[in-house]
Amino acid sequence: MIDFELNETQQQIKSFVHMFAEQMVRPISLVADRDHGLPPEFLARVNEMRNAFTMGAIPKEYGGEGDGAGGKDKKGGRSANLTAAIGSEEMCWGDAAVVLTLPGPGLGGPPVRSMGTPEQQERFFGVFQKPGLHWGAYGLTEPGAGSDVAAIRTTCVKDGDHWILNGTKCFITNGARADWVVIFATVDAAQGRAGHRAFVVEKGTPGFRIGKIEEKMGLRASETAELVLEDARVPAANLLGGEDSYRTKEGFMGAMKTFDSTRPLVGAMAIGIGRAAYEHARDFVKEHYLLSRPVPRYRAIAERLARIARRLDAARLLVWRAAWMADRGLANAKEASMAKAYAGQAAIFACIEAIEVCGAPGAAAGSDHAFLDKWFRDIKVFDIFEGTGQIQRIVISKRILSGLKSF
Amino acid sequence: MVSFEPSEDQQLIQSTVRSYAEKVLRPRLRDFERARCLPDEVMQALHEMGVTTLTIPESAGGPGLGLGTAVLAEEELAAGDAAVPYAMGGAGSLGAVVMELGTDEQKTRLLAPFCEPDAWKHRGALAFSEPRPAASPGLSTTATRTALGWRLDGKKSFVLNGGIAQATVVFAQVDQPAGWEGLGAFVIESDRPGMTAGPRMGTVGLDAAHFGELVLEGCVVPEANRLSGVEKVGHGLLRAFSRISLHSAARAVGLSRAAFDITREYCETRQAFGKPIGHFQAIAFTLADRLMDLDSARWMLWRAAARWDAGKDAGKQTAMAAAHAFEVAMRAADDAVQLHGGAGFIRDVCVEKMMRDAKTIALTAPPVAVQDALVADGELGVQHDLAAVLPTPDIQPIFT
Ligand SMILES: Cc1cc2nc3c(=O)[nH]c(=O)nc-3n(C[C@H](O)[C@H](O)[C@H](O)COP(=O)(O)OP(=O)(O)OC[C@H]3O[C@@H](n4cnc5c(N)ncnc54)[C@H](O)[C@@H]3O)c2cc1C
Repeated sequence: MIDFELNETQQQIKSFVHMFAEQMVRPISLVADRDHGLPPEFLARVNEMRNAFTMGAIPKEYGGEGDGAGGKDKKGGRSANLTAAIGSEEMCWGDAAVVLTLPGPGLGGPPVRSMGTPEQQERFFGVFQKPGLHWGAYGLTEPGAGSDVAAIRTTCVKDGDHWILNGTKCFITNGARADWVVIFATVDAAQGRAGHRAFVVEKGTPGFRIGKIEEKMGLRASETAELVLEDARVPAANLLGGEDSYRTKEGFMGAMKTFDSTRPLVGAMAIGIGRAAYEHARDFVKEHYLLSRPVPRYRAIAERLARIARRLDAARLLVWRAAWMADRGLANAKEASMAKAYAGQAAIFACIEAIEVCGAPGAAAGSDHAFLDKWFRDIKVFDIFEGTGQIQRIVISKRILSGLKSF
Repeated sequence: MVSFEPSEDQQLIQSTVRSYAEKVLRPRLRDFERARCLPDEVMQALHEMGVTTLTIPESAGGPGLGLGTAVLAEEELAAGDAAVPYAMGGAGSLGAVVMELGTDEQKTRLLAPFCEPDAWKHRGALAFSEPRPAASPGLSTTATRTALGWRLDGKKSFVLNGGIAQATVVFAQVDQPAGWEGLGAFVIESDRPGMTAGPRMGTVGLDAAHFGELVLEGCVVPEANRLSGVEKVGHGLLRAFSRISLHSAARAVGLSRAAFDITREYCETRQAFGKPIGHFQAIAFTLADRLMDLDSARWMLWRAAARWDAGKDAGKQTAMAAAHAFEVAMRAADDAVQLHGGAGFIRDVCVEKMMRDAKTIALTAPPVAVQDALVADGELGVQHDLAAVLPTPDIQPIFT
C-alpha cells in the first residue's frame, strides 16, 4: 500500500537525531568551521557517547548495531536504508562537516562490508570497539583520476605475503586521521577496471604517509587529505575479499555497488543543509515580512520560499524512493543517482535563494545570518563528491537509453 | 511505514486503464482532437471501466475509492491522451465541489445520477471564472433570495462542459459586503430556464474537451440546490480547488510520462552524425533531468493523495504536488518537441499536442503562483487570505 508516513521507530530516531543535531552540533558549527576541526570538548563528549554514532555503521556480527542493507524493523519490513536517509538529513541539518568528522568507518565502511572476508570485517570493524576515537576512510580519487575511476594509476605489485603500493590519493575525507583507508590500486592500468584491487591500508604502514591537508570553500571542519604511497608494504591479508575474489568481474563491481546505497544518503545530507538554510530564511520572513511589509512584497517573497520548499521536498521523495528500493532489495542504481543529482541541485538552489531572501546581510559572515554564508559554502560540493551531477546523469542515461555504453 | 507500492487492487485498475489507454486512446488521439469530442463507444467503455465514477461515495452508488486510486487511473488515462479525462463523462469538478460543500443528502442526490449504468454521457460542470471583473472583492455573478428560491444572474466563462453538462455548480455572490467569504454554490440542472450556453471556446490544447460560456438571466433554483454542507463556502471552495488540483496534477504526470517515453524512444532511433541522438550527452542528460522531474512529481502526487485518503489536512502537499507537476509537464513537453527537432513541430507526431495540452492542464486548476501562495501560507503558519489563494475569476481565470 502506498504510504509516506514514517513508522514509530523512524519517528523516534528522527526526533532523537534532530535533538542531537540541534543541541550538540549546531552550537559548535561556526566554531568548527572557523577552526577547521572539531573542538576537543566536543570530541571528548562524542567519545563518551560514541556508540550512538559508530554503531549504526557497523554490522551486528562485528559488534555494532547496524543492520547493513538487509536489516528488518520490528514489523518485519526492511527499512535500514530509509532510516539511515532520515537520520542523515537530520544530522546534516545540524552541520554536515561535523557529521563527516564524527568517528566511525565513514565511506570506508561500505566496501569493507560488501567485499571484506569475515576475518577482515572482524579485524577492521573491530577497531571501533577499542577505546579512543577511530576513523575509517575511502581512497579512490587521484590527481589524475576522479570521475574517470578506471584511470587510477596507483599501482600494486605482489611481493611475497605483501603488496607494494605506489601512488598518490587526493581529496580523501578523514584521510589523515583514519586508522585505516580503503585504497584502490591497479595491477595493470591497461586492464582498466578489471585490474583494480582494494586494500585496507593501516595507519603506520611503512611507505604510507599523509601529504597536504586541503583548504576548502566549505566543509572546512572536515579534513580532506592527500595520501602518499611510496613502496608502501601492505600485508596480503589486507587485500579486500582475498585474491580469488578478483578473478571475476564482481571485485570491482563490489566497489561501485556501495554507491547504490551511499548516494541516496549523500542526497539526504544535502537536503539537510538545504533545509537548514530554507528554515532560516522562512523564519526571517516570518519575523520581518509577515506584519511589517506591504502585502505584494510579502507575497513575492513567500512564493520564493514555496519554490525552495517544494524542490527540497521533491528531492526528499526521490531519496526515499531510492532508499526504499534498496530496502526491498531492488536494483536502484538509476534511482540512487537520480536522488543524489536532484538533491544536490535542489539544496544548492535552497542555499542560494535563502541568501537572497535575507538580503545583503545573508551573505555577510559574522552577521545574524552567518550560517547562511557557511551553508552556501558547504553545499556546493554535494554536487561534486560521490560522483558529480554529470556522472550521475551518465549512470541514469545508461539505464534509460538502450545500447548506450558510454559517451 | 513508507511504501511506494500500490495495493493489488490499485495495480489491477492501473493496468486495466493502461492497456486501454495504449490500445485505444493513444492511437486515436488525433481523431478525438479533430472531432473535438470523444466518440460514443469510447465514452461508454470508460464508463463501464469505472474511471468516470471512481471517487463517488458508495452511498451515491459509486465505488467510493480513494484519491490514491483515482490519481493512478488518471495518470494512465492522460498518458494515453491528456484530453480524455477532461472530455469523458462523469461528475468532474462538480463532483469535487459537491464532495466538499454538499450535505450527505446532497452528495447522494446529486452524484447518484452519474453512477447509473447508462450515464456514460452524463457530465458535471463547475462555473467559477468570469469574463468581467467584479466591482468589489468577490464574484460579479449574483444570487438573490426570492420567494421561489435563489435567483442567479451573471456570466461565467472558461467552463469545462459549460452548456453540455447535465448539472452545473455555479458560484455566485450571496452576500456582497462579505467579499470572498460571501459566496454561495448552486447546482443548476441543464433543463432549468434562465441558463443559456454561449459559444464553445477554442483552446490552445485539450481540444477534445468542451469549454464554454454560460449566461444566467433570472435563473431560479430551489433552496435544496444550494450546497449547504459547510458554513464557510469560501474555505470549502479552497478544499474543492485542492481536490481539483490533485486531479489536474495526476493528468500532468500522465502527460509528462507519455512525453518522456515517446521522446526516449525517438532518441534511441533517430540518428545524427552516425549514432542515435540519445548517445549525445546533451540529449541523454536532458532525458535524465526530465526523468527526475517525472518521478519526483509522481511521488509528490501520491503523497498528497495518501494524505487525503488518511483524512489528514493535505492542502499544502497538494499545492506542492500541483505546482511541481504543472511545471514538470511543461518542461517535459517542451523538451519532447525540442528533442524531436523539426518533426516535433509537425502534427504527424503527437508531442506538439502534448505541449499545448500541458499548458492547458496547468490552467485547469489554480495556477502555480496561487499554489505557491498556499504552500507558503502553510510553511509560514499563516491563515489563508481567500483573496490571495483563490484564483481570481477575472484577472487570472482558470478552466473549471
Ligand atoms: C571535500 C571533498 C571530499 C572528498 N572526499 C573523497 C573521499 O573521501 N574519497 C575519495 O576517493 N574521493 C573524495 N573526493 C573526490 C571526489 O569524489 C572527486 O572530486 C569527484 O569524484 C570528481 O572528480 P574530479 O575532482 O577528479 O573531477 P573530474 O573528474 O576531473 O571532473 C571535472 C568536471 O568534468 C566533468 N566530467 C568528468 N567526466 C565527464 C564525462 N564523462 N561527461 C561529462 N562530464 C564529465 C565532471 O562532472 C566535472 O564537472 C572528495 C572531494 C572533495 C571536494
